[in-house]
Amino acid sequence: MPVPAYSFLLLSGAIFTLGAIGFMVRRNPLVVFMCIELMLNAVNLAFATMSRYLNSLDGVVFAFLVITVAAAEVVVGIAIIVQVYRAGRQMDVDELDLMKE
Amino acid sequence: MVVGFAIVAAWELVTAIGVVAFRKPMYNALSLVANMLGLAVLFLMLNAQFLFAAQIIVYAGAVMVLFVFIIALMNPQADISFRPGGTEWIYGVVFGVVFAALLAALLFNHGLTGRPGAFTPEVIAAAGNVQTIGIALYTRFLFPVEVTSVLLLVAAVGAVYLAMRRIR
Repeated sequence: MPVPAYSFLLLSGAIFTLGAIGFMVRRNPLVVFMCIELMLNAVNLAFATMSRYLNSLDGVVFAFLVITVAAAEVVVGIAIIVQVYRAGRQMDVDELDLMKE
Repeated sequence: MVVGFAIVAAWELVTAIGVVAFRKPMYNALSLVANMLGLAVLFLMLNAQFLFAAQIIVYAGAVMVLFVFIIALMNPQADISFRPGGTEWIYGVVFGVVFAALLAALLFNHGLTGRPGAFTPEVIAAAGNVQTIGIALYTRFLFPVEVTSVLLLVAAVGAVYLAMRRIR
């Protein structure tokens, strides 16, 4: 096997870390969502890697389920963001504190 | 193979940084599309052809088209993500370094263990990749698949409800 599993897993960890940084730093809710997608993708890469190197199908099936759940999550999340935008509020996760009141 | 992996890995890292660092949301979205296409290539390297197709169709196709449409529809201001003189980046980078160090330490100190399964590449190639995964999905993983289909239904209903409802 030419490429060791560690390199795939390290790449996955690096992408996950970048997504986590973006999740905490960015303030546009759409970009925050994109960073969540980035983290989910990194996890999928780890699943596929372990699936390949353990000769198992469980990781691939789990990654497929993660893709499905991510699609559902994006649909609902974007619907909420569009509603907030329609209500004329500022698109800034620091300013969205309506639930607090 | 190693050279190909290095190229795709560099591509992945650069586009991931683009997702986090570009100022305009449209550039973030296009970086994410590029990132997902690179990830599909990595799936192909890992002998997961089904995931390769699902990644391109569902993520790079459906999800990112949704993102790009919403960004084009809402035209969010570019400068919303950065306060002048904001210090979020410092905290973010410090967190990132600590988190990445923890992940790498975990990986290298404990090693990779696991019980190998029966699905070697030769076995999968004999039956076909999609066929093998389809049989696994509809026999061993039937319950999770059904639950996921219910989840998709609930998400569709929720999205329609949110789109119809007017909030003040």
